Amino acid sequence: MQTVIKTEGLSKTYTNTAVPVHALKDISLEFKEGEFTAIVGPSGSGKTTFLNVIGGLDKPTKGKVVIDDVDIATMKESQLFDFRLRHIGFVFQAYNLIPVLTAIENVSFIMLLQKKPKKEMEARAREMLEQVGLSDKLHERPSRLSGGQQQRVAVARALASKPDFVLADEPTANLDTKSAFNLLDIMARLNKEENITLIFSTHDQRVIDRARRVITLVDGAVDKDEHIDKD
Amino acid sequence: MGMLLILAWRNLWRNSRRTLITVSSVLFAFMLATALISFARGFQQQMIETMVRQETGYLQIQDAQYFDQPSLDHTLEYGDEVRQALEAHQDEIEYTVPRIQGFSLAAKGMSTRPALVTGILPQREDKLRKLSANMVEGELFSDRDESAVIGEGLAGLLGLSVGDTLILIGQGYQAMTATGKFRIGGIISFAIPERNNTAVYLPLERAQWYFVAENRLTNLIIMPKDTEHIGPLANDLQSMLDREWYSVAVWEELMPDVMGIIQMQDTVYTGIAWVFYIIVGFGIFGTVLTMFYERMQEFGILLSVGMKRRLLSAVGMLETIMIGIMGIVAGALVSLPIVYLFQRFPIRFSGEMANYVLQFGVEPIFPFILDAQIFLTQAVSIFSITLFIGVITTIKIMRINIQEAVRNE
Ligand SMILES: Nc1ncnc2c1ncn2[C@@H]1O[C@H](COP(=O)(O)OP(=O)(O)OP(=O)(O)O)[C@@H](O)[C@H]1O
Ligand SMILES: [Mg+2]
Repeated sequence: MQTVIKTEGLSKTYTNTAVPVHALKDISLEFKEGEFTAIVGPSGSGKTTFLNVIGGLDKPTKGKVVIDDVDIATMKESQLFDFRLRHIGFVFQAYNLIPVLTAIENVSFIMLLQKKPKKEMEARAREMLEQVGLSDKLHERPSRLSGGQQQRVAVARALASKPDFVLADEPTANLDTKSAFNLLDIMARLNKEENITLIFSTHDQRVIDRARRVITLVDGAVDKDEHIDKD
Repeated sequence: MGMLLILAWRNLWRNSRRTLITVSSVLFAFMLATALISFARGFQQQMIETMVRQETGYLQIQDAQYFDQPSLDHTLEYGDEVRQALEAHQDEIEYTVPRIQGFSLAAKGMSTRPALVTGILPQREDKLRKLSANMVEGELFSDRDESAVIGEGLAGLLGLSVGDTLILIGQGYQAMTATGKFRIGGIISFAIPERNNTAVYLPLERAQWYFVAENRLTNLIIMPKDTEHIGPLANDLQSMLDREWYSVAVWEELMPDVMGIIQMQDTVYTGIAWVFYIIVGFGIFGTVLTMFYERMQEFGILLSVGMKRRLLSAVGMLETIMIGIMGIVAGALVSLPIVYLFQRFPIRFSGEMANYVLQFGVEPIFPFILDAQIFLTQAVSIFSITLFIGVITTIKIMRINIQEAVRNE
């Protein structure tokens, strides 16, 4: 299987604090195509920092993030915008959606920025909303959707443009148990069906076993890296 | 672009009340500024019209040196050259009003007073400024008469009344002695004291005889048919008259003092309008800034998923501009009927205010001026302010720190 992301000796130290914070310490990991990985660990262990760095939202202090044979740590901001748009899907903890756009407009948004043809875009957006079980909410604005439904729209948006991989930072943190399971199930299914590499962070024990690989961070370093075999 | 417009437009209505309040503030500023300036222009026009009618006319032919040294030595000869020039343009000229004017002493017995002696053709003069309406005693002489009309004030100062004899002593053309005895045929009253106390009117020919300046004039006032476009007529006339001897001047050149006052007024009114705009500008800025900080996290997420800063800035810019444009359009729609109304039904001063302006011979009725240019100037001014605020928003969006914005709660 092809490697999608590879980090080498990744370190991140925040120096804007009273005492320097070593948020990431020498992390070398590989993520293969189609993997479904959970990054877990206690609060402050560096999960968000790690996802930000491999998502090109933050620069590492040291080390490499190789995607598509390119070290994105060396890219300029303007290049990173384009890179994120073309290669990475994002799901955040909350407020993912543009409040003034309907569900289907939100899902189309990334493809619109990518300048995909209108027809293709609409068909794909409909398909994805159907996949996440929201075909009856196409024209609702986010304020008319529940938290779980909003996160499902966000997942649909992240996957609609068929990125190389999707990063989700605590996507279930604001959801009740049922919605959290539902969201993870949808993510797991889409990961398989669309064969899109998915990495999500969580400190929610309930959803960890939905992943097929669990990486545990402690104090910014990899503590465990377990592959869970399922069928 | 379509998407950006949709985003901007819908964003404005996320908090519709705030947007409406901001738009209304633009509307009011626009309305106040247009009303103020439309009124000011009307006031100025009234002032100019009065001055033009009473003093200078729209256009004058003078001796080339008269403007700088107004004396009888710099009178113009009302001869063939002038007549030909006027005849060539008779289609554009309503009528002309010739005058000869100079200072003398008016005397009765041992008492003397300075007098501004003006020779006029009464019928023409009447057309220009309804002189006969100001007569308080006796009558305005006819063109061929020999009698004089004097100001009420002067009559009082010298103890003269109708039927008495007025003696004038002064200097005529080329330092000749001017003296004359005139029977007083009428007394005229003016609101402006200076004029009331010095005015002496004589029939033109009698005045020319008195000043020993046969066929000469100090001013030849021209009343054009089209009072709006007098520049070309002035140029044409001048081209037919020798510049060395004759000068054709339009009213702006003839009353530099009034023009100075008008310019000062314009500066003050424009200043007031800008005060409105700047207040409103701060209002818009406040709204836009609040919108900006409220949506920090949203901006962070949009920038994360790959929306370029340029596009996001464009949305911010469009939102600001839309507020401005809505305010301007609404302001214009509201101002138009108001200004139109006050143009049709002018403001009338009464009481003290009326007396004050009447003193300058200005009628206390002030119609607003309905002029697209006024609207346009206001629109452009407000639009540039919104544009400026839009640029600030743009700069702010260009500087957002993405991670901090996403984390923002
Ligand atoms: N922008 C920043 N400036 C300074 N320190 C930071 C910054 N972001 C994170 N940190 C620090 O880096 C460390 C790792 O933070 P991070 O947010 O990655 O943890 P996390 O595992 O995502 O925690 P949580 O489960 O609470 O989300 C923490 O000690 C945090 O205080
Ligand atoms: Mg975190």
